[in-house]
Amino acid sequence: MIRRLLAAASLVLAAVVFNASVAGAVGETVGSCIFEELEEASFAGIDGEGLDAVKNLKTAYKNEAEGAEDIKKDFESDLEGCLDAPNPILPETTEIIWGGGAFVILLVLMRWKLFPVVRNLMEQRTQRIQDSIDEADKTMTEAAEVKASYEAELADAKTEAARILDTAREQAGVVRADLQAKAEADIAEMRERAALDVEASKRQAIADLQSEVAEIALGAAEAVLGRTLENPEVQHQLIDDYIARVGANQQD
Amino acid sequence: MSQVLALEFPPVTHLFQWPDFLFTDTPLALNKTGLIHVLALLLTAGLFWVAGRRAALVPTGAQSVAEAGIEFVENNIVMQTIGPEGRRFLPFLTTLFFFIFFSNIFGVIPIFQFPANSRMAMPLVLALVVWGVYHVVGIRAQGFFGYIKASLFPPGVPKFLYILVTPIELIQIILIRPLSLAVRLWANMVAGHLLLVAFAVLSAALWGAGFIPSALPFFALILITAFEIFVSALQAFVFTILTAVYISGSLHPEH
Repeated sequence: MIRRLLAAASLVLAAVVFNASVAGAVGETVGSCIFEELEEASFAGIDGEGLDAVKNLKTAYKNEAEGAEDIKKDFESDLEGCLDAPNPILPETTEIIWGGGAFVILLVLMRWKLFPVVRNLMEQRTQRIQDSIDEADKTMTEAAEVKASYEAELADAKTEAARILDTAREQAGVVRADLQAKAEADIAEMRERAALDVEASKRQAIADLQSEVAEIALGAAEAVLGRTLENPEVQHQLIDDYIARVGANQQD
Repeated sequence: MSQVLALEFPPVTHLFQWPDFLFTDTPLALNKTGLIHVLALLLTAGLFWVAGRRAALVPTGAQSVAEAGIEFVENNIVMQTIGPEGRRFLPFLTTLFFFIFFSNIFGVIPIFQFPANSRMAMPLVLALVVWGVYHVVGIRAQGFFGYIKASLFPPGVPKFLYILVTPIELIQIILIRPLSLAVRLWANMVAGHLLLVAFAVLSAALWGAGFIPSALPFFALILITAFEIFVSALQAFVFTILTAVYISGSLHPEH
């Protein structure tokens, strides 16, 4: 922008500098016209040329020579012609011919070839740009459609995945519940069996212990008493007492 | 200062009349004014020829000037005055605009320094061409009598006023329109040229006298030169838009 302004300013300045010589282009002045008329003065019947002729004419006029008055009047009107300026408003025929001719030729050239060529170029470019815009719009629309379809597919896939996941989760839940129930049942069964086993073993052990303790007690009693305890009731009484005592000692 | 006081301003006629330099004393005598018109023809034709040869997508140089010119005439002149149907006058109006502009701009172009339209010949010829164009357009659009009726008896005017309006309209359409077109262009260019000469003569005289404040008229000269460039374009625009307005009036009498 600054470069353009500078260029415009220097253009104006250059025009001004050259224009300053406009005064030099000026044509002849009134003074120079009169000077030339005086210098080139020459009259029929009057001697001399230039200023001499003018002087002689003046003398002849003063002496009232024949025809001198007419010659003087003609010369004066010639001199006044220097002041006569052509009417600036009246058009010059030659300028009408050249200017009008130039305009008519230009108009014909422009209508025939120059204008339509440039105009067509502009229209072609406008059309090309419009086509590009349409093409871009079309591509955009297509891309939007593709995107929309991808998004729809993606959404479907997500829904499907979620559904599969839910199903899997459900199935897993069912399997887990089954397994858990089965495991619990197994555990309960095993626990029950173990309890039964323990109970049986316990009974067995108690029975075994009782019979063994009875025998030991009997042996001990027999050894102590030195007799065999014949009476079964006494025998039992003794055994029970003993066992009770042993149990009490063990608890202490 | 004595030189300043001796400053002689050239007679106005001597600033506008140029001697013939070619085909002297024949009807085809060529002077500076005629030469500038021929140059305006060559410049306009050259501009569009160069613009038409290059088909760059992004226009530059001559192409950009020609296209900007066409678009300017289309958008700011034709569409504003006639409307879309005025596009058929685009070649004529564009030619008019560029031809007038180039003829004017020579007023600030070094060496030439003369706006060719400051001579009455060309503005008058152009005004007569425009005069012919809008009459022909009007007659074609409305028929001979329709055009005369619409032009001389504008609708919406009370009948008794036609006594006053019709003669005025007649004078306006036949005489005032072309004359005002021609005189407007001519007078503007004359005034601009006189201003430039006045300030150039003043600057030169003051400078020659060693008078320092000569910088002042010289500065004014710079401004006036810039202004004349603007006026050259403005007058081309005014002439063209008025032509479009007259054509529009012939096409649509109701406006």
